[in-house]
Amino acid sequence: MNNFSDELNRRTFLGQSGLNLGAIALGGLLNDTNAVSRIAPKAKRVIFLTQSGGPSQLELFDYKPGLRKMAGTELPESIRQGQRLTTMTSGQKQLILPGITEFSRHGQSGATVSEWLPHTASIADELCFVKSMVTDQINHAPAMTKFLTGNQIPGRPSFGAWTSYGLGSVNKNLPDYLVLISRMKRPSDQPLYDHYWGSGFLPSKYQGVKLRNAKDSVLYLRDPDGLPREVRRGMLDGIGELNQKRFEQTGDPEIATRIQQYEMAYRMQTSIPELNDLSDEPESVFELYGPDSRRPGSYAANCIMARRLAERGVRFTQLFHPDWDHHSRLPSWCTARCRDTDQPSAALIKDLKMRGLLDDTLVIWGGEFGRGVAGQGKWDSPEAGRDHHPRCFTIWMAGGGVKPGTTYGATDNFSYNVAENPVHVRDLHATALNLLGIDHESFSYRFQGLDFKLTGVESARVVRDILV
Amino acid sequence: MEGLDTRILSAFALFRVMPFPSLQKLLVVFIGCAIPFTVRSDEKLVSFSREVLPILSDRCFHCHGPDASHRKAKLRLDIESEAKRDRGDYFVVAEGDLKASDLWYRIITEDGDELMPPPDSHRKPLTSDERDIMRRWIEQGAKWGKHWAFEKPARAEVPDLAKHPIDAFVRAKLEEQSLSHSPPAEAHTQLRRLSFDLTGLSPGVDELENKNWETIVDQKLASPHHGERLAVWWLDAARYSDTDGYQQDLERTNWPWRDWVVNAFNQNMPFDQFTIEQFAGDLLPDATPEQILATCFHRNHMTNGEGGRHPEESRIDYVIDRVNTTGTVWLGLTLGCTQCHDHKFDPVSQKDYYSLFAYFNSIEETGAAGRKATPYLDYQSPLADRAVKEAEAHVAVCKPLEAAAKVEATKRFDSWLAKAEASLSPDFQAWHGMKPLRVGSAEGTEFVVEDDGTVQTKGPRLRQDDYRVTFAGPKNLTRVAGWKLEVFPDESHTDGKLSRGKEGEFILTNVKLVVQRKGESQVREMELKGAVADLETDVKGRKYGKVKDTLDDDPRNGWTTNGKGLTDPHTAIFELSEPLLVDPEEELTFILLHRSTNGDANIGRFRISATDQRGETVRSLKAAPLEEASRAGKISPELRNRLLSQFILDDAPYQAAKSDHDEAVRQYAAAKKAAGTLGVQVLAERKEPRDTHVLVRGVWDAKGDIVQRSVLPAVLALPAEKAQTRLDFAKWIVSSDNPLTARVTVNHLWQMMFGAGLVRTPEDFGLQGESPTHPELLDWLAVELMENDWNLRHIFRLIATSETYRQSSAVTPELLERDPENRWLARAPRFRLPAWMIRDNALQASGLLNPAIGGPPIKPWQPEGVWEEIFMGRFTYQPSVGPAQYRRTLYAYWRRSSAPTFLFDSAQRRVCEVGVRRTNTPLQALTLLNDTAMLEASRILAEKTNGLEGLAQRVLSRSLAPDETAILEREYAKALTFYRGAPEEATTLLTVGQQKPPPPERAPELAAWMTIASLMLNLDEAMTHE
Repeated sequence: MNNFSDELNRRTFLGQSGLNLGAIALGGLLNDTNAVSRIAPKAKRVIFLTQSGGPSQLELFDYKPGLRKMAGTELPESIRQGQRLTTMTSGQKQLILPGITEFSRHGQSGATVSEWLPHTASIADELCFVKSMVTDQINHAPAMTKFLTGNQIPGRPSFGAWTSYGLGSVNKNLPDYLVLISRMKRPSDQPLYDHYWGSGFLPSKYQGVKLRNAKDSVLYLRDPDGLPREVRRGMLDGIGELNQKRFEQTGDPEIATRIQQYEMAYRMQTSIPELNDLSDEPESVFELYGPDSRRPGSYAANCIMARRLAERGVRFTQLFHPDWDHHSRLPSWCTARCRDTDQPSAALIKDLKMRGLLDDTLVIWGGEFGRGVAGQGKWDSPEAGRDHHPRCFTIWMAGGGVKPGTTYGATDNFSYNVAENPVHVRDLHATALNLLGIDHESFSYRFQGLDFKLTGVESARVVRDILV
Repeated sequence: MEGLDTRILSAFALFRVMPFPSLQKLLVVFIGCAIPFTVRSDEKLVSFSREVLPILSDRCFHCHGPDASHRKAKLRLDIESEAKRDRGDYFVVAEGDLKASDLWYRIITEDGDELMPPPDSHRKPLTSDERDIMRRWIEQGAKWGKHWAFEKPARAEVPDLAKHPIDAFVRAKLEEQSLSHSPPAEAHTQLRRLSFDLTGLSPGVDELENKNWETIVDQKLASPHHGERLAVWWLDAARYSDTDGYQQDLERTNWPWRDWVVNAFNQNMPFDQFTIEQFAGDLLPDATPEQILATCFHRNHMTNGEGGRHPEESRIDYVIDRVNTTGTVWLGLTLGCTQCHDHKFDPVSQKDYYSLFAYFNSIEETGAAGRKATPYLDYQSPLADRAVKEAEAHVAVCKPLEAAAKVEATKRFDSWLAKAEASLSPDFQAWHGMKPLRVGSAEGTEFVVEDDGTVQTKGPRLRQDDYRVTFAGPKNLTRVAGWKLEVFPDESHTDGKLSRGKEGEFILTNVKLVVQRKGESQVREMELKGAVADLETDVKGRKYGKVKDTLDDDPRNGWTTNGKGLTDPHTAIFELSEPLLVDPEEELTFILLHRSTNGDANIGRFRISATDQRGETVRSLKAAPLEEASRAGKISPELRNRLLSQFILDDAPYQAAKSDHDEAVRQYAAAKKAAGTLGVQVLAERKEPRDTHVLVRGVWDAKGDIVQRSVLPAVLALPAEKAQTRLDFAKWIVSSDNPLTARVTVNHLWQMMFGAGLVRTPEDFGLQGESPTHPELLDWLAVELMENDWNLRHIFRLIATSETYRQSSAVTPELLERDPENRWLARAPRFRLPAWMIRDNALQASGLLNPAIGGPPIKPWQPEGVWEEIFMGRFTYQPSVGPAQYRRTLYAYWRRSSAPTFLFDSAQRRVCEVGVRRTNTPLQALTLLNDTAMLEASRILAEKTNGLEGLAQRVLSRSLAPDETAILEREYAKALTFYRGAPEEATTLLTVGQQKPPPPERAPELAAWMTIASLMLNLDEAMTHE
């Protein structure tokens, strides 16, 4: 019954988007080949490289040489304009810490990328840097919740869930939305809550499925020890036949769905281990993605997985790399996370391109907010770090209909406020949906009497200047 | 539409290009004169509240509703006087006069600039049916009314169609649809349905005998499991959890409140009292501790202890959560919308919202989280003692087993020692030097490898670098339990110290050990458990000094000598979590990371060796016990004990018994702690109330006008002096004049028994919510609840004894097509049980269930590592042991950031939830096939049942049909054939959870039965409310 209403809801949306209703089989999911929406889709899938904690735009992308002269001076109130701080630094003077890295221009586009990201710099001409990202949350959990669900309060569907709801499956053996978290060995200050990839009020089949680096890469995937495949097959045959009889007696279509889902579960028990098994990847791939890619569960290995998922048609793949929250010791801490991610992120773009997948895969790299220009701690010591900053941050995108070799938007001389072309988080969502062929205005789901949208109630804009 | 109308409208539209609205009145007069207006008396009367208002709400109120800030054209259509006001030269709604009503023109015009709702609003234009409703409404005089849910429910006359009022109301609707009830469901189906609905458990096999239905209903209502079943409903609504949520996600001890809820339901506490105590138990005269405990309801929200968070911002969030929860759970109103602006659809303003907010704004709280989330009630649970006794008894079971295992292990040790003493060479060496195959660096440091395996750095002096030192598996060892890193001074270093850096110091930030099999591209990372060194500095936080800090992925801490002993060699020893078996096909790489903040401190000269000795050899810098044994002529008792301690680390049977015992002891200690005085978060009023401001756009520090406490006037107005306190607010909620609470509550009860409410949006009875399928029945039940002292059991009994409830759930394709969502109830609903009920029922059917009520939370099985990976190791999940493992899911420990993994589509317990989540995914199939509790239940069912008949009775409460038996016998035979050929597999399968290995001779047969039991637990019928 519930599935029926979901399907009605889905069809209502699809109808609104001008999709061909006749092409959608009742009770079935939208087939990729039938996805003719009002906007011509440029991307078929998304890879979201989520850098959790708030990478510093000042050290990585947003080059502000003018700050050198102002080092150690107090941030003018004309710039700060009452910006609130976290209670970690609200008690201290806001003394300017210029970016501590060297920058140079890269590629024909001349994008500025810091010395800490040499591999990213080498593919600058493939990327579109958005330097004018804006959010309105200053603490991690609300900001990440906003970045990934459009609202700071947990409970809304994630971007990936909306995508999987809107576009449906291509691969019948894998979930539409998979989540991979880098395996690290330090207690994280920012837990990665499962509502970041949750389905909110959308049916839970649209929620992200976490691919774990553990014995059970998907929870409960492994059959118990002592139960071989042949016996499992027999059990499922028995379940299927008896359920079929029950279906004939009761007429409940939910039983037919359950039979299919048990079969899908059985197929996942093969398809997921196959996916996880990188032994079919040649040496050259590991060389491309860097030494850490040999370690299962690393960000680098997960980047290889992201490419494998793209090859298998999975709609939304989301990587999380934690620990970008650099309140102190930028030279050791921030560089460590750069080393984890720089080569593999760049390798993923190159790899997708070599395989002809970049054109219809939208790759997004970024975190929930940026970092402030004031030093945290003693500004002129290597111990210094930076506090959270919501008013500007940098992300990059590639592929999937995004204009390569571009830099969009700019911040003021302090990398504090957006000086031109602000892109709010909701604008990013609207733009990404647009690339997927979905009009964010009409893409809604009715819940508690209201039509909810990923982009929320405030008006969001598609950033057309960065589209091909 | 009639031809005449169309013609006139075309003419009308032509005029509309002229400036609006100066000519309109003229036009109206002109048309009004030309065509005399008549009401078509044969048409059905329109209901304003059920037909017109939903259209106005959905299409118009967004811009012409209660929200002043979004209002367009100074027009509001939610108030009669405004909608019908004489606007000087035109009317929006003119009673009885279609042509004079601008509203009508606006919804039918073909001019996109004039059409309402505007095409760019993304609101659908009115359908022809909806236009027809609007036409008839205006023509019939545009009678106004309130939204149905804001009218006080009146007891409608029961149609004379059946004895039972519920059946009478349902039958009346069925007759309108030319449908009728289905025949009664089979007796066992009715019993299962009732048993699940009222207790959350399937009936026992002995309950299947025929009994009087009313008696069975009363027995189920009187069962202590009834309160537990209702408590799950209430805990979801209350967003109850055992932790705070958010970044720290610290533990709280509010579970005595959960037991208060179970007890209140088991006492059948009237729902009005239940409400008042949870809102304002602390304000009642001579409040008992239990009445104060009840107010924990409003403290169950998440609390955010994130560093850098402003506590006042958090505190405001908590107050907002209470208001929204109250709206959803009791009033069925989406009050959350009015946090930022006036409601777009319902008659609730932003000011109203903050007037409610004021009732919760003066709690003695600070916004802090964790153990600082005051106010607390010091409370000792009367139900904890049982858990202590149970845990103690389990220790008593495990202790002798551990002792016996130790005796056995010691025997094995003695015979090993005798052999070792005879064969041990006098110069036994625990550590084996290894010569690297290769040494490489990430940044460019160069190396010279000397004959004894010592590595000397040379080449560029770098700020930071990683060394990768690769070895073949040590030939003379079968395994590696730990490795030793020696760091040496050298003349080539700065001042002959430990490195070539400026200070001659080294800082090792991280170490890793990876293993790579020849021919494979990927590596295995070996877990390192601990590290010790000869010289360390005990530092706090992220500073360099401790060798153990090399085991995390944090470059801000690590091992250094901190300026001491810079001309002496130093040693660090690292222990592997599990010994690595040496395989000639595998290479071991040690990675030494020097990534400190200041850098310039890379180790200059070092050597690596390995040992196969576990225990103190790899946990201290002392000589290994075996080394001492080889040197000493005779083994002293002290040395013998040290050797024994080391030996038993490898003795698997003893380790298993010890781990069982350790877990039991840990659980006992936790239970004793839970039995002490606990702080339960409750409500308590401040002495000085806080001012309450409207928060502009809902932003916590954007303070607008000050408001006073007040209830919602549009729901039920109260004089200000009767609306002063939280207690007043609570009494208002359960006032018999409040139109919402009783309706919302009976709808929840209906949803519990029918899988969906009479109002399908249980959280929203407002204008955007769905209308009730059976409005008269809903109102009748609401009045019935109030007039029977808010007695919930009375309503459950009424529903359970109706024919509507007891009918069959089978459906024909024709009926399915006519009523796919079963709104008319021509059949009973058929829906999957909630996940918690499936688990509880598996425990019940197998007899594993531990039926104890209340007490501290327990931890059901869940896959390893789930908490660890979310918090990168900060929390570890340890499943309960002994009988505590088999408690009902209600008592499962709920970590807000990671709900029990078994609960695949349950409420999330972050904010209140009153709706039903019900999905059908492959992940659910995997859970039910492979969860340990489901497998343990299958194992026990295999043991307890005698063949298929017994299994079917326990799992499905019925006998099998011959064709079903044939399928199961076929699969049983196949499984049996397999397990007869592989009895060790059978034993492995059966030894699941806490179950011991079976008698070997029965293993194949039991394993085959276990697969059949698991199969049956996974049948759609077994997990479905039929």
